[in-house]
Amino acid sequence: MHLDDERIQRLLHGELSGAAHDSAREHVAGCEDCRRRLAEASREEAETFSLFRELDDPAPWTSAGALAARGRAPGGQRVRSAAAFAIALGLAGAAYALPGSPLRGWVASVAGWIGERRPPSAPAVEVAPDSADAGIAVVPGPQLLIVFTSRQAAGWVRIAWTDGAEVIVRAPPGAATFTSDVHRLVIDNHPGAAATFSIEIPRQAPRVEIEVEGARVFLKEGPRVIAPPLDPASGAYRVPLAASGP
Amino acid sequence: MRPRAPAAQPEEADPLPEATSSFHDRFVELFDAHFQRLYRIMNRLSGEPELAADVVQEAFVKLYRRGFLPEAPEAWLISVAMNLFRNERTTRSRRLRLLTPSRGEQVHGGRLPGPEEATSAEDSRRRVRAALDRLPERERSLLLLHAEGYRYREIARALKLNQASVGTLLARARRAFRESYQGTRHAP
Repeated sequence: MHLDDERIQRLLHGELSGAAHDSAREHVAGCEDCRRRLAEASREEAETFSLFRELDDPAPWTSAGALAARGRAPGGQRVRSAAAFAIALGLAGAAYALPGSPLRGWVASVAGWIGERRPPSAPAVEVAPDSADAGIAVVPGPQLLIVFTSRQAAGWVRIAWTDGAEVIVRAPPGAATFTSDVHRLVIDNHPGAAATFSIEIPRQAPRVEIEVEGARVFLKEGPRVIAPPLDPASGAYRVPLAASGP
Repeated sequence: MRPRAPAAQPEEADPLPEATSSFHDRFVELFDAHFQRLYRIMNRLSGEPELAADVVQEAFVKLYRRGFLPEAPEAWLISVAMNLFRNERTTRSRRLRLLTPSRGEQVHGGRLPGPEEATSAEDSRRRVRAALDRLPERERSLLLLHAEGYRYREIARALKLNQASVGTLLARARRAFRESYQGTRHAP
């Protein structure tokens, strides 16, 4: 009787105890079929492990002492609670901003009940990204290429630095669709539009490049930045999305 | 996931009883033996070095906060790191959904390499990632834990499997991975 998969694997991995190991070895020595299966399993495993190694990136430096110090640090729970509160606040804000959100009506009715309703403001000509309710957040890898597929009739990309770890793109609702992986973020925007986008880029990101319709408009590579002059008023870079700016 | 702030100074007020030197020594041993291995596993699992580093560090911090070792610290570390990874993924996908109205959202991994990225090394890496991503989570974790030299007993504990069938499950998982990898040759 041949060895089953379990015993072939255990033999290969040294997971059989003394008597079971000797018995399996003895069987393999006299059974060509099981010998072949064992050799095949060994070869396939080596190939698989070799493929896995292609996914490896160097580990960041840290030490047991540094992690122990974090474990001893006071306030960890408080920091997490504060973070949870901030996240909850953020989620509530995002839920409020979503088109068709029932929260809007609820908040408006509460405001009306309190008697503090403000008069409606004048309609905006162009939705600023601060009030956007669409966007995407991506943790950049060693390099990230952000691609705007089209030049627009008007509009800007406002680029600012962040101490966070994610590249965050915000846009007015319906201004674009987003497709992303770790190396590339495609913003499929509309040629005739006048939307303004906001992009936050982590200061620590190794390399982030922005292209508009195939032309590079911004590059951050380590500390080096190639971009239009910084707008001192907003502290952000302003890159036109129109052929010659709006 | 945000990078962690630098560790607070250990001489600040300590909410835990001072760790015994034997616990601390054992913690250092565990760190030396498992940090790199766990990082590789989580990085291979996620494809995100920063996320991998973050969850593995957090798992060690949680272990230290316990102040004493669990019965099977290796399996405990693996389970905690995996749970942290799952939680982070869930949080992140929820965040993506909230940030992006449904008509705009299309997020997927590794299907859009441009011509400039199509070097053979990157292509191969992409294929390995795609092949792994197609496996059920249990098979993926099983293969990656075993590739890092974890024994059947530790794998069974960490993944809550019957130890007597780990070999069979490994053989199946490896077969599934190889088929999935072959399939990536013909993927669009």
